[in-house]
Amino acid sequence: MEWNTDWGLRGRMVLTMFLLFALYLVFVAVLVQTNSAVFLPLMGVFVLAQLFFSDKLALYSMGASTVTEQEYPEVHRMVERLSQQADLPKPEIAVADSRVPNAFATGRSQDSATVCVTTGLLRTLDSDELSGVLAHELAHVKNRDVMVMTIASFLSTVAFMIVRMGFWFGGGGQDRQGGSVLVAILASLVVWVISFFLIRALSRYREYAADRGAALITGQPSSLASALMKIDGRMDNVPREDLREQSEMNAFFIVPLKSDLIGKLFSTHPSTDNRIDRLRDLERELER
Amino acid sequence: MGLFDSIRAVFGSNAATEATKEADADDLFGMSTAYVTMEADLGFQSVDQAALCFSGVDSTDFADTVDEVQAILRAGEEETGTIFDVHEDSHGWEWVILQDTDPEDLVTTIHFAADQFIQRGYGSRLLSAVFGFSRDSDRAYWIYSFKRGAYYPFAPSTNNERNQQLEFKLESVLNGELAVEEDESYWYPMWPDTPRGHPWE
Repeated sequence: MEWNTDWGLRGRMVLTMFLLFALYLVFVAVLVQTNSAVFLPLMGVFVLAQLFFSDKLALYSMGASTVTEQEYPEVHRMVERLSQQADLPKPEIAVADSRVPNAFATGRSQDSATVCVTTGLLRTLDSDELSGVLAHELAHVKNRDVMVMTIASFLSTVAFMIVRMGFWFGGGGQDRQGGSVLVAILASLVVWVISFFLIRALSRYREYAADRGAALITGQPSSLASALMKIDGRMDNVPREDLREQSEMNAFFIVPLKSDLIGKLFSTHPSTDNRIDRLRDLERELER
Repeated sequence: MGLFDSIRAVFGSNAATEATKEADADDLFGMSTAYVTMEADLGFQSVDQAALCFSGVDSTDFADTVDEVQAILRAGEEETGTIFDVHEDSHGWEWVILQDTDPEDLVTTIHFAADQFIQRGYGSRLLSAVFGFSRDSDRAYWIYSFKRGAYYPFAPSTNNERNQQLEFKLESVLNGELAVEEDESYWYPMWPDTPRGHPWE
């Protein structure tokens, strides 16, 4: 059977990346004009370091450690076979001790990837659902999402750094160059804000792409859909560790972050309802 | 990482493309002569069984395809005497298991069944073909990956470890006769459900 290509998703992804690229071009031009381009190589080193250490950092911050075949034979078997279907070398597997059901993948390339799951996830899902989630993470690895998102957000990070430095040293530049430094800082602020939303949009599109990949790897779109429903339901019941932090953040927004346009623009993941709708389309495609 | 690979990664469609990549069964037939070499040079005999491993698709059309494959194998049973069995293992992967004392028949029937999946457009769901060998207490398998279009050895020892020395030996002797997977990170183990069992059991 033949799967249809999701041209709509691809189109939006390309448009977002094109806008980001155009924005970055303008940004670099402004930096060069205002003699602020010295930041770029410096930040390049920083981002490269981030790319190399982000996986360890992510695992460390989750309190996750890699596990052997003897400790979690089921998960290992499952990842082995899913990687075979996805034509990937088998990644490392890590488990984090947390009640919140969650999973993520790290690593800049498919040879250095780690897939991490929480104990809450292993407890909550049955084996079909778990394979759906693991396939979603393997799809992230296969699509090189860590690499793509790091590159996409490189200049955004630079812009953010310049804005922050601008706040620190703001007002100090009373020499001849004061004006152009101010221009660079203002431009950075604009670039940072716009790129923030573009990057979030890109991230949501790549989630859809990974969902799609997972459905094609498992051959069973319903398994991921059912996992998403379960996780989404549980997330509300389980007390969140960052609840306080989040309510503080909410104070800055006029409307609470959840379930409205602003919340949507800010989020890295599409809503579960939308994701399940897409998976339902794929399920339908199977029977056509 | 090739150019197309990079472009697909940018579009985020790499996973979808690879998961639905057509099966490459071209080098499967190398096994018929490898059976001879395994016995003559290394003293490994056929366990008289081979198996085709595939992962299902949640659709009526796929279920029909599996039924069709079974019907064809049943017809072949009378002709070649190859006995078959279909079952799902504990990880949700499905197997067509063949039994025949003639290795030639095993290889042909595996190819025949695989071809049936490919004809029906489900070649991408074929994971591997596994051919079993034994020598005294040693077990060894040659696994053909339909994704990579190449063979690799798998020698499980007791306590779920791989006998890498033996795998190395098998690779050295059979390389050339079989198309062997060069990247060892793709030598996926296929552990059996039961200790000392075959991967398909």
